[in-house]
Amino acid sequence: MDMQSVWQWFVAPLQYEFMVKAVVVSAMVGLVCAVLSCYMTLKGWALMGDAVSHAVMPGVVLAYILNIPFAIGAFVFGLSSVLAIGFIKSKTRIKEDTVIGLVFTGFFALGLVLVSKSPSNIDLQHILFGNVLGIPDRDIVQTAIVSLITLAIILVLRKDLLLFCFDPTHARSIGLNVTALNYTFLTLLSLTIVAALQTVGIILVVAMLVTPGAVGYLLSDRFDHMTWIAIASGVFSSVVGTYISYHIDGSTGGCIVVLQTLLFVIAMIFAPKHGLLVRSSKRLNESP
Amino acid sequence: MKSISIDVENLTVAYNGKVALHEATVQLSSSSISGLVGMNGSGKSTLFKAIMGFITPRSGRVLINGLPVRHVQKQSLIAYVPQSEEVDWNFPVSVSDVVMMGRYGYMNLLRIPRTRDRRIVAESLARVQMTEFKDRQIGELSGGQKKRAFLARALAQQGKILLLDEPFTGVDVKTEKAMVDLLIELRDQGHTILISTHDLASIETFCDQVVLVNKTILAYGSTADVFTEENLTRTFGGVMPHQLRKQN
Ligand SMILES: Nc1ncnc2c1ncn2[C@@H]1O[C@H](COP(=O)(O)OP(=O)(O)OP(=O)(O)O)[C@@H](O)[C@H]1O
Ligand SMILES: [Mg+2]
Repeated sequence: MDMQSVWQWFVAPLQYEFMVKAVVVSAMVGLVCAVLSCYMTLKGWALMGDAVSHAVMPGVVLAYILNIPFAIGAFVFGLSSVLAIGFIKSKTRIKEDTVIGLVFTGFFALGLVLVSKSPSNIDLQHILFGNVLGIPDRDIVQTAIVSLITLAIILVLRKDLLLFCFDPTHARSIGLNVTALNYTFLTLLSLTIVAALQTVGIILVVAMLVTPGAVGYLLSDRFDHMTWIAIASGVFSSVVGTYISYHIDGSTGGCIVVLQTLLFVIAMIFAPKHGLLVRSSKRLNESP
Repeated sequence: MKSISIDVENLTVAYNGKVALHEATVQLSSSSISGLVGMNGSGKSTLFKAIMGFITPRSGRVLINGLPVRHVQKQSLIAYVPQSEEVDWNFPVSVSDVVMMGRYGYMNLLRIPRTRDRRIVAESLARVQMTEFKDRQIGELSGGQKKRAFLARALAQQGKILLLDEPFTGVDVKTEKAMVDLLIELRDQGHTILISTHDLASIETFCDQVVLVNKTILAYGSTADVFTEENLTRTFGGVMPHQLRKQN
């Protein structure tokens, strides 16, 4: 492939308006998800992310039925699932991962029932796997608003969120409201999922919420660097994945996540300090 | 007459219905070092957590400088170094990042450090001889160095009250000596320090007061009055602590 054809590969699709929109939306979503993913991986909340993303399903369906913005429906149900998990965990003796598994499947199942009985024809495929190549303008606006709000909140609270992930005991002892931070974090999670729904869909959102952070974590011991690496890998795979899906006429969410996972595998093997190659060569050097 | 900095009244704390501290009462005057002494499981760490408000007591109350602890925490007035830090040691933060976290209470919402914050962080690291490790990732330290890093964070917080739960465990003799000198210096600058330790031999060298615990507060007061053979026998359930017998 020479430079000319690489150029063509990127530019030619942009003659279609839908492709311009898709690239912009997926870049934006890649950015928001990458930033949050740094906190998600450090806090160890992948399962929580999976739960909230599935739990928004009935909200999205109801929003279509009632003809209100999908973002509102999704957000309400995402947040309710979080509250339900917190409530059940604190009031019963059931372990957290059981509660999470129980709540999200319950919500998701409710969504399925609603889709199957809904009078209007809702495309289940689009909810589950996203549809960024056919995203309507009003959904772009909603995604943009939600993304901006989320980024702004993270930017302001980034140090507090980091402290909350690292050492909540210290956060409390300097008078920070840890419960409020916990729920703020969960709200941000719900918002990010809402933003990513159109691009990768319910099933794959969790990949966007952990993989870029994991890549950054393998490549750096500095939170700032980790964030920039996560952003670079998240935005890169969102944009390039969208292009690939256009060229091969395949699932956009699928392409994005496969690309992201590839980046992760490369980082896992070649990372300068924490990569498998370095680790095994260290082990060889250490053994006599 | 010194004022009372830490005032614990009839505090009863239970874990899942099992009482760990029963009607504990203790008053610690300001500008003093108090040694907290008791067997494993006697409730020392529990007392620290209850003072910090991390466990809700079944009854009783804690006042710090006459105020509820939440109030005092909001002003960063009270620093606490737990017995063992329950943090993820692979977390991507450096030693100086961690010490800077002691300054958050003084910063605006964005937590952007100012020159003064940076200076205090550097000073705190120097006081525990950790300057050369300041850029290390927090997990790349030895056990004793980790303890010193978190002590530096407590110093950077510049709280008037310091709660230290077994800071000498796993720390070498030279560092322990340096830490004791540091605590004495802080006391002379007006800090109130409560420190738990199993090193009975060193208590008399730096503690103004002693608090004896065994599921409740058995006794508290000046070291000369309270740190007696009879009291220690009670504290350690009839067994004479070895170190003390050696001294007599
Ligand atoms: N999280 C907990 N849940 C249940 N019981 C606990 C918990 N923490 C402590 N306990 C119990 O409370 C009692 C007091 O424990 P604490 O940690 O305060 O002892 P300690 O004096 O600090 O001991 P050590 O010298 O070993 O540090 C012990 O019997 C302990 O088993
Ligand atoms: Mg203890």
